[in-house]
Amino acid sequence: MAEKIIAYRFDCLDQTLSQLNKENCAIIAGGTDVMVMYKSRRGVPPKIPKPIVFIDHLSELKKVYQNQKDLHIGACCTYSELLGNPLIPIVLKKAIKTIAAPAIRNRGTLGGNVCNASPAGDTLPLLYVYNAKLLLRSVKGDRIVPISDFIQGVRRIQRESNEILVEIILPSVLDDGAHVIFEKVGNRNADAIAKVGFAGYIRLNGDGIEDVRFAFGAVGPTMIRSVAIEKMLLGRTVPLTDSDIAQVVAAFDKIIKPIDDQRSTALYRKTVALNLLRYFLSMKQYQPT
Amino acid sequence: MIKFTLNGKTIETDAPATVRLLDFIREEQLLIGTKEGCGEGECGACSVFVNNLLQNSCLIPIGSIEGADVVTIEGIMESEQFKNLDESYSHAGGVQCGYCIPGMVMASAALLSQNPHPSEAEIREGISGNLCRCTGYNMIVDAINLAAKKGDGLWQKK
Repeated sequence: MAEKIIAYRFDCLDQTLSQLNKENCAIIAGGTDVMVMYKSRRGVPPKIPKPIVFIDHLSELKKVYQNQKDLHIGACCTYSELLGNPLIPIVLKKAIKTIAAPAIRNRGTLGGNVCNASPAGDTLPLLYVYNAKLLLRSVKGDRIVPISDFIQGVRRIQRESNEILVEIILPSVLDDGAHVIFEKVGNRNADAIAKVGFAGYIRLNGDGIEDVRFAFGAVGPTMIRSVAIEKMLLGRTVPLTDSDIAQVVAAFDKIIKPIDDQRSTALYRKTVALNLLRYFLSMKQYQPT
Repeated sequence: MIKFTLNGKTIETDAPATVRLLDFIREEQLLIGTKEGCGEGECGACSVFVNNLLQNSCLIPIGSIEGADVVTIEGIMESEQFKNLDESYSHAGGVQCGYCIPGMVMASAALLSQNPHPSEAEIREGISGNLCRCTGYNMIVDAINLAAKKGDGLWQKK
């Protein structure tokens, strides 16, 4: 064994945070992204360029609880743990079930999906439409950041090197009467990276739209969401007219700029993204009978 | 020093924390039933149980499993459940080249111990992280179905 590898695995979050305050480290939760990113050839350990801190065992990062109508999800809860938790919204479970396969869901964490900041992160479209807030902790204290500010680009996040993502907070998600959908398009059901992800959120008062949100994944460097376009629909009534739907689709047509890569083409991605939007806007399920 | 149990045996090692559990199992412990396929968590050939949960050993840095209970295919070979799967895979013709089979059997055991009577869709979901390039999966699905039927009672949750 050539070079010495420094790795820490503390018993509690406080010790972990004080180490992070002294030293810039690579944080490993489930490791399902990190271990692939730094993979070496067979038999050779991955070359991770910094000292490592393991955090997936820390009980402080595994709590799921309700605070009034907000849902707090510990960043190191594995996908399987969330699938088994009755507080987690069914639509979020649906998104989680599209991630990889059982063995990876037993290791990968929600906090990891956020901090990995992949353009195709499967839970991200939903977290964006839920207006998720992230609780970050360091030795200096806590701060709360909206997810759309935290994720700044492809694998770029606004985390200081002494901070750990502690909780993902979904404000007012419990009992707010919204209708939320999630769709993922990939090559196959398991182990597929999304070509397009979509989340739609709508809350009605009678037949008037009180709140509506859309987020698209895998069609840009980060999730595509536009509060300006969403506002166009406030106060409109359902069922939406064809011209309302066309107006929203045309507005997103201008701002969705996907790329060609080995998984899909820009044209396919854009067509599917706008079809999913149209499908959501004309859905019957949330419309009053 | 990292300490954990492997097939019931206590292991203490000073291997670097980033060593993959897969390499440790195969190269240090010479337990070669666990295979390496893709090395990226997509093929399931390296499946093991960590604290009774199916996991890909190629994605596990050994430093993260302090205190854990790790079981490989060798660790279940003496069990009644393994015999049940062994016979069912043979009977259904679920094994051709065999490279995916240790992982496939681990995934089958994980599924049946959580869900002793899975539907076909649940079986396919249970092995969705395991690639087989020979059988086309149908015979493997048959094998798991058979194991569920023949192993009635064997897989009940404890």
